[in-house]
Amino acid sequence: MDNKTITITKDDLATAIRALLPAYNVYAPAGEGERLAFAALDESRLGAINLTGSPVIPPKELLFPRSESLYTLDPETGAATVPEIAESTLIFGVRPCDLRGIENLDAAFLEKGYVDSNYAKRRENTTIIALACVTSPYETCFCESMGGDPLAAKGADVLLTETKAGDAFTAAFQTPKGLQVKLLWDSLAMDCGSAPAMTEGSKPAMTEGSKPAMTGQHNTLRVTKPDDLPQRLMAAFDDPHWAVLSEACLGCGTCSYVCPTCYCFDIDRESGAKEITEYRCWDCCMFSDYSRMAGGHNPRPTKKERLRNRYLHKLAYFDERYGMTLCVGCGRCIAKCPASLDITEVIEWGGGAL
Amino acid sequence: MGINEATTYEPKILAFCCNWCTYTGADLAGLNRMKYPANVRVVRVPCSGRVNPQFILRAFARGADGVMVCGCHPGDCHYTTGNYFTRRRFMLMKKVLEFNGIEPQRFHARWISGSEAAKFRDAVTEVAQVVKALGPAATKVTTQASSKAPASADIESSVQKEGAL
Amino acid sequence: MNYTEKTKLIQTRAAALLEAGEVSYVLGWGATRFADKTRARFARSPEEAATLVYNEHCTQSLAKYLVDDRWPETRIAILARGCESRAINRMIRDNQIRRENLLILGLPCEGTDAERCRSCRAHDPVVYDELLWEPNSTGAAAAAELSRYYRADAVDALSAAEKKAYWDDVYARCIRCYACRNACPVCSCRECFVDMHRTGFQGKRHSATDNQTFGVTRAFHVGDRCIECGECERACPMGLPILAQTQKILKEIEALAGDYEQGLDAAQDNYLGAFDLDDKDDFM
Repeated sequence: MDNKTITITKDDLATAIRALLPAYNVYAPAGEGERLAFAALDESRLGAINLTGSPVIPPKELLFPRSESLYTLDPETGAATVPEIAESTLIFGVRPCDLRGIENLDAAFLEKGYVDSNYAKRRENTTIIALACVTSPYETCFCESMGGDPLAAKGADVLLTETKAGDAFTAAFQTPKGLQVKLLWDSLAMDCGSAPAMTEGSKPAMTEGSKPAMTGQHNTLRVTKPDDLPQRLMAAFDDPHWAVLSEACLGCGTCSYVCPTCYCFDIDRESGAKEITEYRCWDCCMFSDYSRMAGGHNPRPTKKERLRNRYLHKLAYFDERYGMTLCVGCGRCIAKCPASLDITEVIEWGGGAL
Repeated sequence: MGINEATTYEPKILAFCCNWCTYTGADLAGLNRMKYPANVRVVRVPCSGRVNPQFILRAFARGADGVMVCGCHPGDCHYTTGNYFTRRRFMLMKKVLEFNGIEPQRFHARWISGSEAAKFRDAVTEVAQVVKALGPAATKVTTQASSKAPASADIESSVQKEGAL
Repeated sequence: MNYTEKTKLIQTRAAALLEAGEVSYVLGWGATRFADKTRARFARSPEEAATLVYNEHCTQSLAKYLVDDRWPETRIAILARGCESRAINRMIRDNQIRRENLLILGLPCEGTDAERCRSCRAHDPVVYDELLWEPNSTGAAAAAELSRYYRADAVDALSAAEKKAYWDDVYARCIRCYACRNACPVCSCRECFVDMHRTGFQGKRHSATDNQTFGVTRAFHVGDRCIECGECERACPMGLPILAQTQKILKEIEALAGDYEQGLDAAQDNYLGAFDLDDKDDFM
């Protein structure tokens, strides 16, 4: 692999992204405050790129949309139309925790014998440019406690790291898809040779185990998580403390919808005289209708059972099946929960630290 | 494609008619062979008070260009008071529709009794004209032809506003 | 009196009530590991009463938790500020809870960190069994920083096309997590229309129009009973102006029927649940 890195000054960031627009559908965090979201970029939106925070809705929605039409049927002819999945998409500015979230989705959608074709196609067509977290975007970030490294994103095609001076990014190209991006940027450096748009360095990119020279202010939130947390939590399945943990829960879907790893969906149909649409949309295990059976019986009748299921899925069930925790410590659910519930308390309680 | 869409466009109008007055009035209009625009689709409801404001929203979302709610004159309700609730509800509803950027002229309420066949004809004709002039409603949920751009990614392209908004 | 003293008063009173077995639990706020976040705390013993806190970060209204326990064996003590007390009145009127099951510890409030407190018109509780400290000198209807219908007024000032663009933008950002519904003290349907499968009321698909159908329907369900606490907006993870919808309904009701404010006592009718023979129908 070509280990060369490129340095992009912040002033030239727009130029660098502009160079990607002809080749990819580019998405990047854009907008201010509560409007910060991964947005489709075009020439007019380049100025709105905002890399200071992490959007509330994680980039999983670009691979696993909130709502997608699976096919539409013409009821008269019976002809089905399957929507096309976009070719070559590029997601710019994915945080390392969100990238781990995508790796979790990969396991859920692509492994264990079943491949979700829509997800697989999107994933195949997507190039990811990750952005190392020099500072934690949320006060509630705890990725380091969940085994994450805010400065590394092994699975990313390109990894951008802010330089120590804070006026530029170093780009490391980590995969063949990443090298495609490098080709575009290399030609750019030649095109506008006058400006010091990009400077090539021959420093080796971060290799495993070595961290870049600069270190930032990282997670202030530290959580004690024992290795046998899944087993401990499973053993505590009937613990009466679940009722206490869940008593403040309002039963909304905020935690799931802002979570970079929640992947539950529902499939339903909208029938009209001219068109029948089968669609898939996000669903959430905190809703009462999620586990309701056809006859009306609900095996998870109250918020206690639903909340326990959600936390156990995050911290135990997924681990059992795929060997990784379904919580990457992005801190969004803690930051956004309207009742201030806190998954780290469950981790520490389950792990025996509380 | 030589045909201009504007000249061929026919609005879809959904009319919720109470069983006891307006539906009978519409029936009478038919018996009298009165002519009125074929744009209207009648849904018979037991009472105009049965009409949930959501029916209106749902109708718009499913492609209606105009919606009518018709019932007995105040005082004539088969259930004595049903249409008094209707009156309050849709007085507010009309304001709420306007507030939500849905043209209030797309929504009409009328009191039409069982003997007022001509009034039914006139109301439907008038509403069809008004709605036709407005053109197709923008509220219909359209199937995403391509699932390329997920919902929130499109959002940022709309106008950004600041302040109390 | 500062928050430390107020917290002490709450803890002492809660401990005494639990000690005497007068209540099954005291519903208040407790600390989290974050200094700027508190969480609803159900104190069940005098020891737990010592963990109750009260400060400017107690942004959440506690009233909605009462419907989780409609038939308590012993009374529930609830810490109630203006917003909680008005919610309690409305919930009693809606037959969701019973007054005799509650011991209301009134907390005259000075507002919290939450945006919702900036338009609050009822800092002092309107219903209580005992007040834990002196009411605000300004009285219950303390002058709010923002006008009563500030969000609705802002939207009303837009042109028709701007309104459409405005709501398209808002509802494109809505993620339909239903936090607004679940936080709302007057959203009390046993089963919400959005959870009713295949009734055709509301598809689960996420689109701006579907989201708007949900938002407007919810507003219409609660609009005439809205106590203006702003919990919907506080709960919204996307920061959407949800109050605008209910403010608009209240504003129009006030224009039609004169002074209209909900939750001030437990016997108030809601506008759409009643009628007047002389109601206008000039909208026809």
